[in-house]
Amino acid sequence: MNAPCPECAADVALAADTMESEIVACPDCGAELEVVSLNPPTLALAPEVEEDWGE
Amino acid sequence: MDDISLLEELLRIPSLSGQEGAAAAFLVERMAAFGWNAFIDEAGNAVGLLGSEGPLVVLLGHIDTVPGAIPVRVEGGRLYGRGAVDAKGPFAAFVAAARRAELAGQRSGHPLRCRLALIGATEEEAASSRGAHYARDRYAPDFCVIGEPSGWDRVTLGYKGRLLAHYRHEQPAAHSAGELPAAPEALVAFWRAVEQHCARHNAGRERLFEQLSPSLRRVASGGDGLTDWAEATVGLRLPEGVDPAALAEELRALAAPARLRFEGGCPAFRSPRTTALAGAFVRAIRAEGGQPGFLHKTGTADMNVVGPAWGCPIVAYGPGDSRLDHTPDEHVELAEYQRAIVVLAHVLGQLGARAPHC
Repeated sequence: MNAPCPECAADVALAADTMESEIVACPDCGAELEVVSLNPPTLALAPEVEEDWGE
Repeated sequence: MDDISLLEELLRIPSLSGQEGAAAAFLVERMAAFGWNAFIDEAGNAVGLLGSEGPLVVLLGHIDTVPGAIPVRVEGGRLYGRGAVDAKGPFAAFVAAARRAELAGQRSGHPLRCRLALIGATEEEAASSRGAHYARDRYAPDFCVIGEPSGWDRVTLGYKGRLLAHYRHEQPAAHSAGELPAAPEALVAFWRAVEQHCARHNAGRERLFEQLSPSLRRVASGGDGLTDWAEATVGLRLPEGVDPAALAEELRALAAPARLRFEGGCPAFRSPRTTALAGAFVRAIRAEGGQPGFLHKTGTADMNVVGPAWGCPIVAYGPGDSRLDHTPDEHVELAEYQRAIVVLAHVLGQLGARAPHC
């Protein structure tokens, strides 16, 4: 199962047991991507990690 | 007892760091009533164990609080009380979610596929982190969730490190019109040197998580006519790559000839989000209609203690707004508390379905 990276268009291989909402890293550009669909396999950029105060 | 009463009763039991006994006993009684193996361990932690097979999931949340009693009350859908956010609320959510996941499994005929260890930990608000250090050496989990407020739809991936430096300078008493700088002036010079040291480190670094952040926590001075002294406590929040021991040596050089004593040193820690655990949270938050977000925090938590040792997928999660930590307005929105329970129960129901991986 493969899907294109939305950042660099590289072909990202997904494991057979991949589930929706998993986050994977593009092996080419390193972008972190969320598996938003399995049929067809579709990747979207994962939201940026924010900063917060505490604890 | 319903989920809200569980938290409300827990909030009514004072539990300053080192004085968690009554709160731990209450939690053990509640967890034992569910049929779990519940006990207080040698560090004073309230522990509940359930499940007989599958990966081990540790739910570690601290049950001690900072000082400052806040009358426990429900007003406008908010539950007020010291610890409502930091962090009795998250741990009560752990207990409620574990029970919910257990009952859901029994009803569906598909029992939990993981073993759960709930640890209500002691002394997180003290620099000792006694409960987490004890747990670190006794468990080897496959997954870990730390109980700290992230908001019901966000997940915390990392915390900055910490170092506390206690400064003391003494010198022979001298007339204030003389040429010798007074002891408090030496202290001020040290503080300015610390600020400059941090500023040099932070040049070009815009994200707070990447910055070395100092705070002046306490200042005092005095004398007895023969000796003058000045004291201060400086807190530092450490970014990744700054080793507490190496920083301590740099501070000693800045403080000389004054003495420095250090406490609570721990490095920053950050977990990846490309894990089955992070994915389970994303899935659960989306199932509840939320837009998942991820956080790096400027503070320090028990994740810094157990994360490096356990090396398993780990996040921090819990209801509440961490801006209310340690404030006189500390409260949790009850709707958020209940949504976090649903999300957590959903996550626990997923774990064990696949082999854990980092």
